[in-house]
Amino acid sequence: MSGSHRLIQVPPGVQCFVGDEARRRRAIEDRVLTVFEGWDYEEIIPPLFDYADVFAGEALSPKTYSFVGRDGSLLALRPDFTSLLAKIAAGRLAQRPAPIRLYYSGEVLRYEPPKAGRQSELYQMGLEHLGGGRHAADVEVLAIAAECLEALGIDGWVLALGHVGVFGGLVSGCGLSGVDVGALRDRVESKDSSGVRAVLGSGGVPADVTDAVVRLTTLAGDASVLEEAGRALSFCSAAREAVDELSAVVGTLGEAGLGAHLAVDLGEVRGLDYYTGLVFRIYAPGLGFEVGGGGRYDTLLGRFGRPMPAVGFMLGLDRVALLLERQGKPGAPPPLAEAVGGRRVGAALAQARARRAAGARVRFGNGEGA
Amino acid sequence: MTLTVALSKGKLLAGSEALFRRAGLPFPEGEGRRLVVSHGSLRFLFVKDMDVPTYVEYGVADCGVAGRDVLLESRSDVYEPLDLCFGRCRLVVARLRGSGFDPHGASTVRVATKYPAVTAKHFLERGVSAEVVRLAGSVEIAPGLGLADCIVDVVETGRTLEENGLEIVEDVAGSSARLIVNRASYHARRDDVACLLETLRRALP
Repeated sequence: MSGSHRLIQVPPGVQCFVGDEARRRRAIEDRVLTVFEGWDYEEIIPPLFDYADVFAGEALSPKTYSFVGRDGSLLALRPDFTSLLAKIAAGRLAQRPAPIRLYYSGEVLRYEPPKAGRQSELYQMGLEHLGGGRHAADVEVLAIAAECLEALGIDGWVLALGHVGVFGGLVSGCGLSGVDVGALRDRVESKDSSGVRAVLGSGGVPADVTDAVVRLTTLAGDASVLEEAGRALSFCSAAREAVDELSAVVGTLGEAGLGAHLAVDLGEVRGLDYYTGLVFRIYAPGLGFEVGGGGRYDTLLGRFGRPMPAVGFMLGLDRVALLLERQGKPGAPPPLAEAVGGRRVGAALAQARARRAAGARVRFGNGEGA
Repeated sequence: MTLTVALSKGKLLAGSEALFRRAGLPFPEGEGRRLVVSHGSLRFLFVKDMDVPTYVEYGVADCGVAGRDVLLESRSDVYEPLDLCFGRCRLVVARLRGSGFDPHGASTVRVATKYPAVTAKHFLERGVSAEVVRLAGSVEIAPGLGLADCIVDVVETGRTLEENGLEIVEDVAGSSARLIVNRASYHARRDDVACLLETLRRALP
């Protein structure tokens, strides 16, 4: 009997979709990929595993499923697409002039306990804009994200925009050395002003820097936050530049009619070791966590030998499906098939083929299991 | 639109009620055992203190009141924008009085606690190998009965420790009640959330 449960149970972290659920997921994917195609992005179907070095990174490596290949090299199931796309853009597409526009849709695997709509096997739909002018690329990617949300019929969606250069500038350029940056980032991310003061309290940090970092926990809201931030952070040129860059993005998106969907959040500091500029997360009422997000990562491609700026975003299919369900938007009803059959199987099959040629959905047989 | 607030049925309830009343916010009175109560512009969920961060993280509640000790243990991904300045306590390591037990001198420390994640992290960061014995309550009796070498628990006045023959070895973390907010609600329901935050902020001592 030992081990027989494995023939029935599903291992934690993976899912199986049947019928309506599978159909809904395909419909979501279709809509999103149609938008990606519409902005002239090219599909890329990368491998399911690659050398583990490709995915090296502090945040992801503890979550990576890795294994030793036959030749002794360390391999890993892809925990994200971005590193793979960067590798391919720098290698196989090395001769292709920038900007390169690529999209993907598929599973990534991460070792983490199922929680908050997150499984070990996640289905991501995303794109990367590699090379090209930073501002134009940033606003293009945000506009595509917006169109995806519109195409999916999601209500009340918000793009919450931040810039890692605000916190990064304060930390690196303004006398914060010696402070535990990891602990500080964690408290800023939680918008915990008293926690920020507690971390900075012991470090001999200048008062204006302390006040500025504390302010990051409340600099969230509509576009007016950026003016306030510009004044509050004027003493730190790196942080100020980041605010200006973000203001330009918000201004351009406003001109394009997206202003009502924007939020600014300068306390958004996750992924600091990876992102280098704009960062954003997508929220909508009905789901307690983001449905997707992205940002600018200008240093990643350098790792693969083709330094160039890059920006991208992705939507989590599992979370989009959950959100649409919560917002009361079920998928289309299951399509009806016409039954074709008869005692003379040959004639029935010929009729079924004729109906198929006419585009009908056909259920073939003698009525059993109908 | 109504905001949903998750509150602890436990020790933070009285402080939460006092704060909400001081702020002029609606607060249900004498609703008995009902766990979901709509009152004015707010809907309240009364849940176990350890569960408040979960309700808020999943967005079932837009915000809630939780102790920092509980947030440390649950490691929930929520915003903590307000220190509400009540429910102050400390998480500490405590041992039998006079035992002289040194948690940093032993090869393995057996620690009883209601806070297994906080405890594991505390000892891990100090290079101590700890065996965490998870209990649901009455942690203070564990060392005297030989279940554990020491405990990690919250103390307010220190009375309970003293009555059970324990003494504090070291601090793990300070704690007080926090207003926590779901990340999506914070952005997607910005006006309602900002209004509630400001109302509470003005009512803080």
